[in-house]
Amino acid sequence: MTPGSSNVSNPPAKVLITGATGFIGSRLCEILSLTKFAVPRAFVHSTATAARITRFPLDFFVGDLCDRKSVQRAMEGCDAVVHLARGDKRVMRVGLENVLRAAADQGVSRFVHMSSVAVYGNHPPPESTSEAAPAKRTDMEYGNEKLRQEERVLKYGRRRGLPIVILRPPNVSGPFSGFSLDLMNRIRGGRLAIVEAGQNPCNLVYVDNLVEAVLLALCKPEATGEIFFITDSGALSWERCLNDHAALLGRSLPRVSATELVDKPAERYIRDSLRAVPRVLLAGELRGLLREIPAIRSIESVFYAGFQSLSGESQQKIRHIVQGPLVFEKNGTLDRSMYFRDNIHQAQCRKVAHSSEKARRLLGYSALVSYREGMELTEAWLRYCRFL
Amino acid sequence: MSDPDLKYPTNTATPRGAGRKVRLGIVGCGAIAESAHLPAVLSSPSVELTALSEVSDPRRSYIQRRFGLGPICFDDYHEVLPRVDAVVLALPNALHASVGTEFLSRGIHVLCEKPLATSSHECKQMCETAQAALAVLAVGFVTRFFPSTELTKLVIESGFLGAVQSFDYEFGTDGGWATLSGYNLSRSTSGGGVLVVSGSHFLDRMFYLFGDLDLVSYADDNHGGVEANCVARFEGSLRGHAVQGRITLSKTHRLANRLRIIGETGTLEIGEGQSRSVTYIPTQSGLQHEISMIETARAKSEPDYFSVQLEDFVRAIQTGTSPRIDGEQGSKSVAIGERCYELAAPLEEPWCTATLERLESSVLQAKAAAIDGSYALGSSRG
Repeated sequence: MTPGSSNVSNPPAKVLITGATGFIGSRLCEILSLTKFAVPRAFVHSTATAARITRFPLDFFVGDLCDRKSVQRAMEGCDAVVHLARGDKRVMRVGLENVLRAAADQGVSRFVHMSSVAVYGNHPPPESTSEAAPAKRTDMEYGNEKLRQEERVLKYGRRRGLPIVILRPPNVSGPFSGFSLDLMNRIRGGRLAIVEAGQNPCNLVYVDNLVEAVLLALCKPEATGEIFFITDSGALSWERCLNDHAALLGRSLPRVSATELVDKPAERYIRDSLRAVPRVLLAGELRGLLREIPAIRSIESVFYAGFQSLSGESQQKIRHIVQGPLVFEKNGTLDRSMYFRDNIHQAQCRKVAHSSEKARRLLGYSALVSYREGMELTEAWLRYCRFL
Repeated sequence: MSDPDLKYPTNTATPRGAGRKVRLGIVGCGAIAESAHLPAVLSSPSVELTALSEVSDPRRSYIQRRFGLGPICFDDYHEVLPRVDAVVLALPNALHASVGTEFLSRGIHVLCEKPLATSSHECKQMCETAQAALAVLAVGFVTRFFPSTELTKLVIESGFLGAVQSFDYEFGTDGGWATLSGYNLSRSTSGGGVLVVSGSHFLDRMFYLFGDLDLVSYADDNHGGVEANCVARFEGSLRGHAVQGRITLSKTHRLANRLRIIGETGTLEIGEGQSRSVTYIPTQSGLQHEISMIETARAKSEPDYFSVQLEDFVRAIQTGTSPRIDGEQGSKSVAIGERCYELAAPLEEPWCTATLERLESSVLQAKAAAIDGSYALGSSRG
C-alpha cells in the first residue's frame, strides 16, 4: 500500500502506542483492551511505571524512542500509531522523528499525534476558539516544543503522505491525572486562589472523552490531515472547577484580582550565584564527596588550618557572611503570596474557550462524559488511592 | 554414613568446615544481582565467586567491567554448573524452577530469589530434588533477616500484647522496579503481579509470625494480565485466640506502608524498612515506645542484610543444617498466592468501567462505518 494513498481506510487492527505508561496512554491501553477496538502494542520505556497497564494482556515492547532501530522494530506489524510520548527535548524531537519515519516507512493507515492547546502559549488569541487560528512561537517553552512537533507531523503528512491527525486537548482531568493531582496538592498547600472571580472559561477534557476522540481519529476517514481541539461539552468556569476540587478537601479558596498576583522575586544572576557558592561548597554532603579526591583533601586541610588560626571573632564574622541571618516566620502571619507565574493562575486570566465543534462535526465526537460525572469518577479514585 | 540430625547430611560436592570457601556462582545479572547479591558475594569472606551467567551480552560485559571480574562470566548457565558448589539464582521468576532444579539435581546448593517458583507443583519439585541430592535450598526473603522481624515474633510470643486480635499490612508505591528483562510485564514470566512481586515478602513473614492462616477473601484489579492492586483477608488462631488479618498492596499509589498488630494491651507497628526496632503504642495512652534488641541498638551501623542472608546460606551448607528460609517455607507463600488467584474477585474500579458501554457504542459505530466505507470503496474499485 502506498502511504496515505486512501481516503477511506480500514480501522486499524494493531496500534502502536508511544507513551503507553503515561496517564493518557494507560487509559487508552485500558479502553482498547476492554473494548477490543484494536490490539494495542504498548511502547514502554521503563517497566517501573507500567504497573497500571500490566493489568491487561497487552503486546508490550520495551525500547527507547530515541533509538531508531528500536522504533522500527516496534512498528513492525502495526497499522496505526498514537504518539503520546513526552520527555526531554531529545524525546520530543529525535523520538518523534523516529516514530514518524518508521510510521511512514511502514505505511500505517493513521498517525494520531497528541499535541496541546499550549501551542497558543500563555495568551491565546481570541480567534483561537477555532483550530483555524494560526499558532506561533510564544513565551511558553512547552507550547513552542509542541508547536515544533506539529510542524514536523504536518510535514510528514505533506511530503510522505502520512495520514496524520493532530489532537489538541487542554488540561486533561480524571483518575491518575497529573493536572487533577497538582490542583489538589496546591489547594491543600494553600497555594491556589480564584482569580478575577474565576469567570473565565476553564478548558478541560476528561480523559475518557479524549480517548473517544483518539479512537474516532483512528477510524474516521474525515480525520486525515486535520487538527482538532478536544474539550468537554458545555461551558465550565474556573470558579466552578476550583471550588469543586476545593470542596473535596473541605477547603475554600481565597479570591484575588489579577493585579494582586505577585511576580516571584526575579533571580539576580551574579548576586544569587555569589551567595549560593559558599553555601554549596560548605555543605557537608558535598565536602564529604570532595574529600574522596586526595588533592581536594590536601587543599581543604590547608584552608581549615588557616581558618582555625583566625581569632574567634573573625571566625564568627566569616560564619555569619556565609550562613546569613536566621529568619523566623511568625505563627499565623505567614504571607502566602499568590504568584502570577503559577500556571493555574495564568490560565485563569485566559478568556478563550477552545471549541471542539469541528471534532463533533467531522469525527462525530460526543464528549460522552459530562464534567459532573468526570468529577464523581475522579473523586472515587482519589478516595481509593487514599488522597482523600 | 550421614548424621541423621543434619537436615542435609552429606554432600560430597560441598566443602565442609568453616575454613574452606564455598565456590559460588550467580545466575542472572539483573537489577537485584547488581545492587545486592554481587556486592554481598564479593565482600564475603566465606565464598569465592567462581562463575556468573547472564544471557544479555551488553549486560554481561557491563557487569564484568563494573565489578572487575575475571574470565568467569558466561552467556549460558550450563557453563556455571561444573565451576560451583552453590549458586544464587536471580533469574526471572518463571525460570526459577527449571534452572534451579538443574543445579539442585547435581547437588549444587541454591539460594533462590523470591518467589521460589511460580506454582506449588514447581516448588514441590524443587524441594524434592534438593532433598534427594542433599543440597541446600534457601529462599531469598531478605526481610526475614531484619532484627525487627525477630523482635515482632518475640513480642507476640511473650504475651506482651496480650491476645493478638488482628493485623493489618499495607504496602504501596507509585510504580515498581525497573526490571531489565521486563519479566514483570506478564504473568507467564512473573507468576503474578503485586501479590507475588511485593507481597510475597510479607506472606512469608505472615506465616512466620502468625502460623498457618485461612484465606477468607481476595480481590484484585487484574484484567487478564497481572494485578497492580489487591486486598487479601485471612483468619486463624494464634495462641488459642481468634485472629484476623488484612493485606493491602498497590503498585499504583502509596499506602501506609507498615504492619500493624493489634493486641489486648496495645498496638505494635513496624514501618516498611524499619529493620532494627518496633513501635509499641499502649491502649489508652498518648505515648509510644520504640523497642529494640540491646545488641542491635548498640551496633553503630546497620548490616547489609543480603550479606547476612548469604552467610546464613553458607552456614547451612557448611554445617548441613537448614537455612533460615528453606524450600518448604518458601513454598508456603507460593501456595497461598495460588489460592488467592483461585479465589480472585474483582476490585471495584468504577472509573475504569463506568464509561465503557457508551464509548463502545460511540466508537464501534464509527469503526463499523469505516469498515463499510472501505468495503464499498474496495467493491466499486473491483
